[in-house]
Amino acid sequence: MTEERIEPTVPADKANWAPHVERLAAGGVNVGGRRLNGPQQGFGPMWQKTYKVRIPGVAPERVISEWKANYGSFWPSHSRFNAPVAGIQPGEVGNIQSMQVLSTGIMVLYTDDTSFSFMTPEGHPFAGWITFSAYDDGGTVGQVQLIIRPSDPLWDLVFLFGFGKGEDMMWQHTLRSLAAHFDIRTEPETNLVKVDKKRLWRNARNITKNSAIGSAIHILGTPVRALRRPS
Amino acid sequence: MPGTAFDVRVDEIDGVVTLRMTGDVNRGAQEPLERAYSGTTGGSVVLDFSDVDYINSTGIAVIVGILAMARAAGREVRAFGLTDHYRQIFQITRIADFMAIYDDENTAVAAG
Repeated sequence: MTEERIEPTVPADKANWAPHVERLAAGGVNVGGRRLNGPQQGFGPMWQKTYKVRIPGVAPERVISEWKANYGSFWPSHSRFNAPVAGIQPGEVGNIQSMQVLSTGIMVLYTDDTSFSFMTPEGHPFAGWITFSAYDDGGTVGQVQLIIRPSDPLWDLVFLFGFGKGEDMMWQHTLRSLAAHFDIRTEPETNLVKVDKKRLWRNARNITKNSAIGSAIHILGTPVRALRRPS
Repeated sequence: MPGTAFDVRVDEIDGVVTLRMTGDVNRGAQEPLERAYSGTTGGSVVLDFSDVDYINSTGIAVIVGILAMARAAGREVRAFGLTDHYRQIFQITRIADFMAIYDDENTAVAAG
């Protein structure tokens, strides 16, 4: 006999998760109208990248609360995160500008008191999730964990030729800044695991949504848009 | 509500491996679930969520890690026992695009 599962009317963690959307309604260049991609919608090898920093004496809840409130300020100066107006809340979209030229974004997938996660839209350099968490492991640890694949063949090449290292440096910088926010000077630990070395060739067409190409087209089109604008 | 320790039991019948999970699928699930999966060989993998009450975003990443390892080994992954809420989460995160989700164990096992 099969037991019927009785579900509560409203699941306890429903408010922690973003609502289902087919395409992002809000967002800037290379974000609005895009679908969200998990790692299985990407192209290149799948990586689990984990970066950690020790923040002793600060409760995990406080680490996450400060991280959410100051998220963009912990980034390196060459990249900018425009936080959603409502802050880091499930379903909100943040825009990213990198090196003055690359425009993309993220959607906030999940938040709770000790973690929050982002999911990337089509065209982002990588497809997958980034989870930021704080937990007790003989003292508080702040952690960034990415589970990602380069989004398309072009981003896969870019990752091979140094973008992957740049990604590592960015999150290491973020964690150094997070620790410094609590007056702690320390170096993060990095652990990189290639979960699946295969390339998903069925997703090679993702290149049509590549945000670098989209950003370049957007920049080249700026004079035309200016001319069309009514004076 | 979250707070139940994770555990996993492995059943293997006719080449179909079922990973029966109980408790919360979160950070604490990674090591036991990966160890349980790594101890299996062969055909399809069925994930039993019937006794899972809570999955957070780290837990979703743990499930995807298993999915990726299985797919890299050419093994199909199916699931059953998810509540409607977590079925929807699997759609939001697009895990459902790559893992068939069934209403019950018999259908999930027979689907191979």
